[in-house]
Amino acid sequence: MTFYVIRRVAIGIFLLFVMSAMFFTLTRVTPGAPISVGENPRIHQSVINLRLHRLGLTDEQGNSYPIPQQYVLYLGALLHGDLGDSYVNNEKVTTLLLQRLPNSILLLGAALLVALAIGIPLGIFAATRQYSKLDITTSLVSYIGVSIPSFVLGIYLLLIFGVILKQSPLHWGFPLFGMHTGGVDDPIDLLYHMVLPVTSLAILQIAIFSRFMRASMLEVLHQDYIRTARAKGLSIEKVNYKHALRNAILPIITLVAIAIPQIVNGAIITEGIFSWPGTGQLAFQAVVTRDYPVILGVVMLVAAGTVLFNLIADLTYAIADPRIRY
Amino acid sequence: MAQVPPLPIGPAGVPGAVPDQLSVETTVQQERDLTRPGAKADEFGGAPELGFWRLAVIRFLHHRVATGALIILGIIVLSAIVVPIITGDLYRVQDYRHPFKPPFQNLQHLLGTDDLGRDELARLLRGARVSIMVGVLAVVGYLLIGGTLGALAGYYGGWLDNALMRFTDIIISAPFLLVVIAVTAATGGVRLTTVIIVIAATGWYEIGRLMRAQFLVLREQEFVQAARALGASNARIIVRHVLPNALAPIIVSATLGVSGIILLEAALGFLGYSIPPPEPSWGNMLQNFEQYLLDDQAYLVVFPATALVITALCINLVGDGIRDALDPRQR
Repeated sequence: MTFYVIRRVAIGIFLLFVMSAMFFTLTRVTPGAPISVGENPRIHQSVINLRLHRLGLTDEQGNSYPIPQQYVLYLGALLHGDLGDSYVNNEKVTTLLLQRLPNSILLLGAALLVALAIGIPLGIFAATRQYSKLDITTSLVSYIGVSIPSFVLGIYLLLIFGVILKQSPLHWGFPLFGMHTGGVDDPIDLLYHMVLPVTSLAILQIAIFSRFMRASMLEVLHQDYIRTARAKGLSIEKVNYKHALRNAILPIITLVAIAIPQIVNGAIITEGIFSWPGTGQLAFQAVVTRDYPVILGVVMLVAAGTVLFNLIADLTYAIADPRIRY
Repeated sequence: MAQVPPLPIGPAGVPGAVPDQLSVETTVQQERDLTRPGAKADEFGGAPELGFWRLAVIRFLHHRVATGALIILGIIVLSAIVVPIITGDLYRVQDYRHPFKPPFQNLQHLLGTDDLGRDELARLLRGARVSIMVGVLAVVGYLLIGGTLGALAGYYGGWLDNALMRFTDIIISAPFLLVVIAVTAATGGVRLTTVIIVIAATGWYEIGRLMRAQFLVLREQEFVQAARALGASNARIIVRHVLPNALAPIIVSATLGVSGIILLEAALGFLGYSIPPPEPSWGNMLQNFEQYLLDDQAYLVVFPATALVITALCINLVGDGIRDALDPRQR
């Protein structure tokens, strides 16, 4: 077990290493001077030189390093927790990321919880009532869920709840834009602003979770020990919810780990659409303004998060299911 | 249905699969009712022999939802191919006197016009062309790269297998959208060919893994050993013996892949990283959504968004229909 953890961590670090090298090279071979985007044209050359130097692109005199050397410098800075400077915001990437990370965790966490809270029971009910109306409705909804990308869903939600309902005689709806300046201090207002972005992120995961849960539950329900439990006279409820559910729900742990990069992917555009001040919106703006150090920073953050969550998921799985040995 | 005569095993060399499928009573009945030319009756005078693929087509056509989705998809694809040829440059002809013409008002602009007075319907169909082209070509790329590497990795194992699995780990842990954007930007400028190549080069891993899994199972089976005993070369075994048996899940995954790519391309277009203007794509038609929503021009948002969802939904339904048709035991 210890050996397994060490091996997994080593592989994770190797993955991050490869990814940083890949993305670093990509952002460096991208045409265009790194500080030309959105920059004040009257900026002094010494400021440019200083910034290029701080980006690890040049030495103090303004002579540029070759790319492998730049990468080594970047890695050195990375080990000190420095991801370089944003081209656009005149700020450290780490500062920007740390400012926005809590907002993203709030939004993504809420979306994940909502998806789990709705998707899993839906899948269980669909499986225990196979081919019923509820089952058919669930699969229909999950079909539609996987066919609507979260940004299109976000736009639809804005149109219905932000525009049409507000202009209707009801004068009721949800706000068009993300967090108010009040931020997290006013929970009710915050919740009110979270409804639409959370919905648009959660639908896809609800679809995936309910589909998976249904399949997993059906598989377990057809096993011999379930028939044995029924044959010895246990009630359907007891068999379904005690014997079957415990085994069927285990693979969800892995699915949650897989879901995280998916939600992050969706959040990049969803946060942009709803002006939610999180890392996704940061990436959205960085993509639109081509601010590569920020894109690189977000990629590294997400990759590190994914590697970490996959590891946690595997370890949790081993604890939850004693049959699994590493 | 008690007196089913002994059934002939279909001619296609699909070990194990055919007898199972024929035991499905309805299929047997449907098969009997068929009096197609070329379907020869066997010596028992019962069911005509039908190959695996022909049976799959029959099963697919009995799946009403999937068939309906296929018909709608066919209409979308056909009009995306044919109509732009007839209307020509209409999608980019600007009419400054008539911007934001509402839809369903006159026949000249059935779905209205956009901010520059361009015909919305012509733009939608042109955009459909872009979406479908990217979807199909990128999936062909998936199949070429993922299929080849997956087959080789599954059949030979070794370092290639390890490399494939590590590559997959890397791709899975990165936010795919940002990967595609970074690569597109790095290859200089946004062009449709670049987008297609980048999507194909980064997204093939799913089909690669699937192919590898299929080959891992199939290479141990008796018919492969038999082929080897008869002196068949590795290349022949891979192409003629294993590949045809590995195809079913690959076809399903490729179909579902098309809708995934279409949605990805739309997201890229939405961010300005797909085909550049004035060429329309469903993604970049949604770019100014805020302005349209606030100015009561919601139809300019609803049309491309709905086109996108309907197309993706139809492809997914067809994909699931194919899955059921190819593997009836899974239902």
